[in-house]
Amino acid sequence: MVNPFREFHAIQGGRREIPLDRIIASKDLILDRLIVGYHKLIEEEVHNLVWLVDHGALPRAYAAAEKAIAEVNFTVEDVEDFCFTLEKADSFALALAGPSGLYLSAMCNRVEGTEISLRLKGLKSRVHLLGYRLPEGKRLIVEGSCGDFAGAAMEGGEIIVQGNTGNWTGVGLKRGKITVEGNAGERTGEWMEGGEVQVKGRIGSLGQVQGGKVYLGDLQVAPVRETT
Amino acid sequence: MNLQEIITAVWPRVRRKHLFPQLPTPRVGENASTAAVEMQHKQIVLNAAFCEQLAANMPLEEVVEASLDHGVAHYTRCPWDFATHLRLHAAAKEVLQDREMAQRATDAFIDVVADTFCVKEFETALPQLYKHLERGPLATAMAALYSRIWGIDLESAAPEGLIRRLSRISYLDRTQWEKSMRRFCRLIRPILEEEQQQEEGMSSAPLGQHGLGGHSQNEVEQGLREFARQAANPREFHETVADFAEELAGQGYTDAQEGMGRGKGQQLDTDLLYYMKLAESYHLPVRKAPLQRSSSLDLYAHAPWELGKPIQDVDVWTSFGKILPGLTQTWLRQHGEVVGRREGVPDCIIAIDSSGSMTNPRYLLSYAILGAGCVCEAYLRHGAQVAVYNFSDAPAGDSLSLDFTTDRKRIYQSLCRYFGGGTALALDEFDELRRRGRRSVPDVFLITDMAITNLEPLTAYLSQTEGRLTAVHIGETEAAVYFKKATAGWKNVSVFAVTRKEDIPRIILGQVKEYLRPGQRGV
Repeated sequence: MVNPFREFHAIQGGRREIPLDRIIASKDLILDRLIVGYHKLIEEEVHNLVWLVDHGALPRAYAAAEKAIAEVNFTVEDVEDFCFTLEKADSFALALAGPSGLYLSAMCNRVEGTEISLRLKGLKSRVHLLGYRLPEGKRLIVEGSCGDFAGAAMEGGEIIVQGNTGNWTGVGLKRGKITVEGNAGERTGEWMEGGEVQVKGRIGSLGQVQGGKVYLGDLQVAPVRETT
Repeated sequence: MNLQEIITAVWPRVRRKHLFPQLPTPRVGENASTAAVEMQHKQIVLNAAFCEQLAANMPLEEVVEASLDHGVAHYTRCPWDFATHLRLHAAAKEVLQDREMAQRATDAFIDVVADTFCVKEFETALPQLYKHLERGPLATAMAALYSRIWGIDLESAAPEGLIRRLSRISYLDRTQWEKSMRRFCRLIRPILEEEQQQEEGMSSAPLGQHGLGGHSQNEVEQGLREFARQAANPREFHETVADFAEELAGQGYTDAQEGMGRGKGQQLDTDLLYYMKLAESYHLPVRKAPLQRSSSLDLYAHAPWELGKPIQDVDVWTSFGKILPGLTQTWLRQHGEVVGRREGVPDCIIAIDSSGSMTNPRYLLSYAILGAGCVCEAYLRHGAQVAVYNFSDAPAGDSLSLDFTTDRKRIYQSLCRYFGGGTALALDEFDELRRRGRRSVPDVFLITDMAITNLEPLTAYLSQTEGRLTAVHIGETEAAVYFKKATAGWKNVSVFAVTRKEDIPRIILGQVKEYLRPGQRGV
């Protein structure tokens, strides 16, 4: 009698490690650490972030976000992957619009590399505060729409939003450029000190622009140019 | 050795590496147009010209072994089955919104998974094969990706940022394939667009495209059923399956109307296919009822057996255990005429409401059509016939009657017709159809939201009819409450509510409080 499974005995587990295994393992590890850091930020700062009107809350939360990612060595691709995690997130914490934007901003500001593409199209809620304090030399391309406070207190970078932005776009902008390919909401350019905001669609209303320029298409709308 | 001999010599080794898949020995393609590696009816076919061309750079035996590794990995790993192929294609289509690009992206993704699996699991000459293949823009990027994720230099260059991002996708994690496919498509989109704009058009996968050819008819059926279950709505199903319309038509899935005259037949109706495949997934039970004429064929007389006649019906007791012409006796059968306690499944009339208050089946899943489809399947499975009365504002002409038949396609065509007007049932039309029943009294299956303008006359009519009535109301309405109250005392009626897809399997057809007997009626 012949054992029909006899030939299987000779099969050795021929599995070997290929570079893909290492890449995936390293990616998963970094992503896990970024998510842990994010949860830490939520635990520490969520109460303050609810009350953004408190002037100290935002810098304090941002400092906490910076602290949470300080130990993690991540790349531009990790930041992009974190966005994909947000897209598929079922947990309430990951979907929080304010903290996730602030955390993403902290990551963008710290990561090595000049150009970062973030895909926010599939997100259930809009991400606020994206591009907060974006430094000079960084270019942030957002596929989809942002929430409120896009490019807040930017320090010289460039943001291109391939969708719409919410209210208070470019609030407190110091230097740099924000391009919105869709529409911007209310109080656009509020307390701007310098830099440029260009909206290609419509602007809900302008804020109190103290410096810099706001364009609607190619037309400068703030400060209003006197015609002769 | 010629190519076929090399294949025969290499095949046992390839089978062993892939843990002995049940595939026939591969063969050499007969015509030059065959793809490099193709699966036809579960048999791998290698293109002779392709093998000979690559043999200039590497031993022919290695070319054959690598090509076979690639072909078998599609069978054993990715896409594995047709449902997975459809799911991956749907994910690609969602991102790329273009049939041609989605097909090319799906082919590329499937190849990355299958080939990476081979490279990881056992010794294979696939890297050498890829090193010497001719490359278009996408194949160049894929070769650069392979260099990165396999750790073998394939002498290909592509933008570093793209390759870095592509190499972070978990190709070997089956649970992530759809998500990975979306990511993959977003990243390779610029290359696909570039290829599409070229004069020679989109390149094809270097080792052959993937389609229905690799799957048996049964697998295609099963894949369509599974995909219909997973698709969120008919539109999603339509958008993906329509991309395979030509290949499906080749397998007999056309919706062409048989008839006289000339002209191109209609294309595959994916909506009809969607409801047909979805309904096949549910098995509704049908209670049997006493019948005057049974649907089964009964043994009634003997006849001598002759050579060439089937032997299944041989009566061994009267044939003395011999198979000899003249001596052996076979049973003759006829439709049983039985009166009394014999039970069977009667024919059924499906009355389906397709008025404006019902869901348009082309855009959203119509519970009415799905429910009616399940009923059709249940009765046909028992050898009974089904008639359809599809109504909207029937007195104004918005109705369709299909006589008792066992033709599934015609039944589904009648069920899927959507009028979208007012709601009234023409009782005379319905009664005429009901009286056309050939075997006993037919069952009636009514599926509607009960928002029927002549609901009271309809209820009165149904109270006078014999036979079992299964009424299903979609959603809870005042009219449904009225109908339930009006029929509460009847013994030949069962009423079910459907508010979700999951309610459909709970319907039991012909579930009556007690069997009808001649002269006995529920009040």
